[in-house]
Amino acid sequence: MALPKVPLWYKDAVIYQVHVRAMYDSNGDGIGDFRGLAQKLDYLQELGISAIWLMPFFPSPLRDDGYDISDYRSVHPSYGTLEDFQLFLHAARDRGIRVVIEMVLNHTSDQHPWFQESRSSLNNPRRDWYVWSDSDTRYRGARIIFLDTEMSNWAWDPISKQYYWHRFFSHQPDLNYDNPAVREEMWNVMKFWLEMGVDGFRLDAVPYLFEREGTNCENLPETHGVIKELRRRLDENFPGRMLLAEANQWPADLLPYFGKGDEFHMAFHFPLMPRMFMGLKLEDRKPITEILQQTPKIPDTCQWCLFLRNHDELTLEMVTDMERDYMYDVYANEKAMRLNLGIRRRLAPLLDNDRRRIELMNGLLMSLPGTPVIYYGDEIGMGDNIFLGDRNGVRTPMQWDGGWNAGFSSSDPESLYSALIMNPIYGYQSVNVTSQRRLQHSLLSWMRRLLQVRKSTPIFGRGSIEFLYPDNHRVLAYVRQLGEETILAVNNLSASAQAVELDLQRFKGNILVEMFGRNIFPRIGELPYLLTMGPYQFYWFRLRRI
Amino acid sequence: MTDMIVSELGQAWNEFAHGFAHLLPRLLEMLIIALVGWVIAYLLKVMLRSLLRLVKFDHLSELAGATQLLSTAALPSPSGLLVQLVFWITWIGILLAGISFLDIGGLQKHIGVFFLYLPRFFVALFVIFLGMLASGFFARAALLGAVNSDLPSPHLLSQAVRVLIIALTISMAFEELGLAQRTIIIAFAIVFGALMLGMAIAFGLGGQGLAREFLERRLSAQRRERKHEGDLSPL
Amino acid sequence: MAEDNILSDDLLRQLISVGEVDILVGLHTHNHAKTIGHVVQVIREGLLKYFPRERVAVLNADGGSVDGTRELVRAASITDLRRENSFYTLRTLHCISSQYGTNVSNGTAMHIIAAAADLLRARACAVIAPESSEIRPDWMDQLLGPVYRDNADFVAPVYRRQRFEGILVTNLLYPVTRALYGKSIREPRPGEFAFSDLLGSRLVGHPMWSQDAGRLGPEVCLTLEALAEGHRIVQAFLGPKGQAERPAPDLVAALRQTVGPLFWSMENASGAWSSPAEAPTLLTIGPTFDVSTDGMANVDLARLHQMFCSGAKDLESVLKSIVSADTLSQLQYAASLDEAHFHLSEELWAKAVYEFASAYHRSAISRDHIIQALAPLYRGRAYTFVTENLNAAPDALGERIEALCVTFERFKPYLLELWSAPERGS
Repeated sequence: MALPKVPLWYKDAVIYQVHVRAMYDSNGDGIGDFRGLAQKLDYLQELGISAIWLMPFFPSPLRDDGYDISDYRSVHPSYGTLEDFQLFLHAARDRGIRVVIEMVLNHTSDQHPWFQESRSSLNNPRRDWYVWSDSDTRYRGARIIFLDTEMSNWAWDPISKQYYWHRFFSHQPDLNYDNPAVREEMWNVMKFWLEMGVDGFRLDAVPYLFEREGTNCENLPETHGVIKELRRRLDENFPGRMLLAEANQWPADLLPYFGKGDEFHMAFHFPLMPRMFMGLKLEDRKPITEILQQTPKIPDTCQWCLFLRNHDELTLEMVTDMERDYMYDVYANEKAMRLNLGIRRRLAPLLDNDRRRIELMNGLLMSLPGTPVIYYGDEIGMGDNIFLGDRNGVRTPMQWDGGWNAGFSSSDPESLYSALIMNPIYGYQSVNVTSQRRLQHSLLSWMRRLLQVRKSTPIFGRGSIEFLYPDNHRVLAYVRQLGEETILAVNNLSASAQAVELDLQRFKGNILVEMFGRNIFPRIGELPYLLTMGPYQFYWFRLRRI
Repeated sequence: MTDMIVSELGQAWNEFAHGFAHLLPRLLEMLIIALVGWVIAYLLKVMLRSLLRLVKFDHLSELAGATQLLSTAALPSPSGLLVQLVFWITWIGILLAGISFLDIGGLQKHIGVFFLYLPRFFVALFVIFLGMLASGFFARAALLGAVNSDLPSPHLLSQAVRVLIIALTISMAFEELGLAQRTIIIAFAIVFGALMLGMAIAFGLGGQGLAREFLERRLSAQRRERKHEGDLSPL
Repeated sequence: MAEDNILSDDLLRQLISVGEVDILVGLHTHNHAKTIGHVVQVIREGLLKYFPRERVAVLNADGGSVDGTRELVRAASITDLRRENSFYTLRTLHCISSQYGTNVSNGTAMHIIAAAADLLRARACAVIAPESSEIRPDWMDQLLGPVYRDNADFVAPVYRRQRFEGILVTNLLYPVTRALYGKSIREPRPGEFAFSDLLGSRLVGHPMWSQDAGRLGPEVCLTLEALAEGHRIVQAFLGPKGQAERPAPDLVAALRQTVGPLFWSMENASGAWSSPAEAPTLLTIGPTFDVSTDGMANVDLARLHQMFCSGAKDLESVLKSIVSADTLSQLQYAASLDEAHFHLSEELWAKAVYEFASAYHRSAISRDHIIQALAPLYRGRAYTFVTENLNAAPDALGERIEALCVTFERFKPYLLELWSAPERGS
C-alpha cells in the first residue's frame, strides 16, 4: 500500500528510534528480528508515532553495534532476511508508518569485502576506496572522537603495511570520498533500499567524509558537494523521500548542511538537547532560549530534528567546559556513567524517575520547533545498566511484560543479546508495556495522549516560534504560530510552584483553551496574564477568538 | 405701748430665733462639708504627690527650668507647689460648695463663676508648664547647635530663644485666663514685630557690611570645618 | 508585619520573578550614577567568578535617584532577553532596583534588603556601599564565602585606613564595642558586610527599625545585635576602604549615625554585654589592623582645640546633666590649658563616654542632645590622638589604639555601676 503523498511529511512526523535487535524476538534465539518488529507495529501505531528510524541492521561483526557494516545490501542474519525486511516494510506502510533506515556513509567495517580487497595490495583496484598513508602524521588538525578508546585517527595495517584513516573505531576505516567510484557506489546502495520502499535515510557521521591538510577535517566544502549530488538524484528518482543528517555541530555550522534546501531535509539539533537537561537542573530557561536564539533560520522545506535521548551517550561535545562540568556533577556523579564526553544514561534514570520531569521534558520535545524523535523504551520509562560496556546500557531489550524475559523473547535468558534491566525500580517487572497499557494514568497512556494532542494541529511541526521573556526566569514560554492559528506553551522548569505574568497584550481578546483537558481559561486582557503553575507543570493553550 | 414693744420684741426675737434655727443646721452642714472637704483635699494631695513622683514631675520641671525659677523666688519645689495648689483649690472649692448651702442670695452666682473659671486656670498653668519645657528644650538645642557650628555668642542665642518662647507662652496663658488680653497681645505683637523689623533693617540696610561679613565668616567657617572634617573624616 | 509596608508592590513583583536565591547582594543608593555602574559590574564579576553555579541576585533599594542610578543597576542583569558576548554564565542574574520613597534613609534601605533576603530565602546576603571605589571581585568571596560555605552568621570588614581616618571608629566605636563584648570588631560600622539567613530573619522584625538608631545607623545596630546574640562572626580584610568623592557627613550627623545607635543598642541588649555569654571565637581572615601612611590629613589642630575649649565652656549647663561633677571639672580644667599643654587623657575620655552612655540610658536630657553634646569632647580627643601619633609608625599607632581599648575595658565596671545606679535626684 502506498502512503499518501504528503509534501514535507517529515515536518509533521513523530519518529520512533528503534534497534530491530532490541524490540522483539520472534524466533527464540534471544535477538530481536524483523518479523518480531512487524508484530509490534500495532503497538507503535497505537502509541501514535508516524515514522520509524531503524538503527543499522546490515551484516556486521557488531563491534560497534552495527555501525561497522560489512555488507550494505543485506540484512544481518540475526535479524532475518531481506524478505523479512520487506514484509516489515509493507506492514509498516499498511499502518501508515514510514520507515527511515540508517546509512553509514563515512566508513565500513574492516570486514567489509571492499576493505579486505583494498588492504590486500597497493595495486588493488579498491585500494583507493579508503584513505591510506605511509605515516600517521597527516591531518593533525582532526580531533579524536572516541577519546576513551582511540589514541589516534590512524591505524597501522600489518597486511598492506600502511596506515589507514579512521575517525571512529580503528575497525571502522573511513571511505575515500575523493574517489568518484566510492560516491557512485554509495548512491547505488541508497538506491537499492529506496527501490525497496524505504522513506528516507539517516546519514551517519556526514561531517567527516573528507580530509584536507591544515583543517580539522570536519564540515569541509567537498562534503556538501557530495550531499547535493545525492539529494539531486534522490529528488529526481525518488521524490518525497527524506535525508536526515547526523552531524554533531553548532547550529550555525549545521546550516550549510541544509544548503538552499538542496541538501539535507533534516538535521539533529544536537546542542539543544543537553541544554534542555541543563535548564531543568538549573531551573532556568536561559540555556534553552540562548541556544535557540543562536539557531539560524533554515530553508522553509527543512526541519530540525529534536530528541531527548538516543542510542549514543548524551553528548556534551557542544557545550562549554563550565557547562560540561556542571552536567557531569548533576547528572553523572558516578564515573561509570560517563563516556566519550557524554553521559550514557536513559531518560528516566537521568530524571530520577520523576514522572513530572519526564512529562515536562517530553512536553518540551513535542512543542519546540522541530520533528521529535522518541527513543524506544522511553515511552514507558525504561531504565539503563551503566555496567554494560560502551553504550550498551541504553540498548537493552524492550520490556513488554513482567513475565519470561520481559516478553521480549522465549529463549533462555542467558542467550539474550543483552541482559534485561532487573532492579526493583526500572526492572521489567515494574516497568513494562502490558502493565502500563492497563493503567489510564500510566506514562505510556500519557505519552499516547501527548502524541494525540500534538498531531491535532500542524503547528508544532510547521509553525514559527517566538519566545516570551517573562521576568520569572524559571518559566519558559513561547508562542507557536501557523497561519491564523496560535498556540501558547508555558513550561515551569522549577521544582516549586511558580507565578508568572505573561505579556500577551497583542493577543488581547483571545480565550485560552488548554489543549489536554480542553477547558477554557480567562480571556486575555490589558494586564499581564497571570498564571500559577505547579512544580514542573506545563500548559499548551490554543488561542481562540470568539 | 409697752405691750406693743414687748410684742414687737417678741416677734423680732421669734424671727431671729426662726432665722437662726433655719441657719444653724445649714451652718452645721457647711462645717461638716468643710471638714469632709479638708479630708478629701488632703487625700488628693497625698495621691497627687505619689503620682507626681511616679511620673518624675520634679525631674521634668528641672529640665524645664521651673525648679530653678521657683527656688530663686524662694518657693517650694514644683511638685510641692502643685500639690499645695491642688489641696487649697480642692478645699476652697468644697468650702464654696458648702457655703452655697447657706442659701445666701447673690453668693451663688459668684461661687458659680469661680467654678467656671477653674478649668481655664488649670489650662493656663498647663500651658505655662509646657512652654517652660519647650523653652528649655529649644534653648538647649539652640545652644548645642550654635556651639557645634561655632557661631558667635551661643549663650545669647540660646537665651533669646528661651525668652521668646517663654514670652509666647505667658501671653498664651494670660489669654486663656482672660486677663488684660488685648494689652498682652498687643504688647507681644509690638515687641515681636519690632524685634523682627529691627533685625531685618539691621541686616538689610544698616548692617549690610556687617551682615555680609558675618555671613562670609560663617560660610567660610563652614567650608573650613567641612574641609577639616573631610580631612579628618570621623568615619 | 512591618515588612508588608516596606516592600512596595513593584518590588514584590520583581522579587516573585527572582524567586528563591542562594545569595543576595544589596545596595542602597541615592544619586550614585557616578560610581554605581562600576560597583555593580565588579559585584557581578565577583559573583560569577566565585559563585558560578549559585542562584544570585542583586537588589538595589533606591532613595529616589534622578541621575539614572536605577537604570545602571538594572543594566547589569544577565538574562536571555539581552545577549552579552563578553562572557557566558550558566544562569540568569537578576539585578533589580526599586525606589522606596524620596526620604533617603539608610535604615529603610537596610530593612528592605533584610526583608527581601528573608523572603527569597537567601542563605547569604551581602551589603555593599555604592561608592566603594576600591571594590574588587574577591570581596564577594571574602564577604560571602564564610557565610555561604562556612556557616558564619556575620562577616565584618577590616579596611586599610589612612592614619587618622575614622577617629570616631578607632577611639570610640571600636574600644566601646570591644569592652562590651570582648570581641575586637575593628569596624563596628561597616560599609560592606554580610549576614546569614539566621541573622537576617532576626533583623526583619527587629525593634530598631522604628527607632532613630535603626533609621540612622542600622549597620551599628546590626553589628551589635550579632555580638549580643552570640552569633558566629568573621572578619575579612578587604584592603583600602576608598570612597569616591562625596561630601563626608558633618560631625554631629556622624555621631547620630554611630554613637546614637551604639547607645541604643547598649540599652536594648544590656543583659548581653553586662555579662556576656561564651561566644564563638572571632576569626579574622587577613590582617586585623592595617594603616596606610600615604598622605597626611590636613588638620587645623588649633581649631580643634579651640572648639573643644569653647564647647566645654559654653555647654557647661548641658554637660552638668550628663557627666559627673568630677568629670566636668576635669574637662573644664583641660579646656583651660593652652594647645601646648592640652591633653584629653584616655581615662578621662573613657569615663566621659561611659557617663554619656549612662545619661542616654537614663534620658537625663533629650537623647539627641546628649549625642550632640559629645561633639566638642570628640574634637578634644581627636586633637590629642592626632598630636600623640603625628609621626608614629603604623605598629605604634596600633599599640596606642590597643592601649585605649584596654582603658575602656578597665573602666567597664564603672559603666556597669553607672548603668545600674538609681536615677539621679530621685
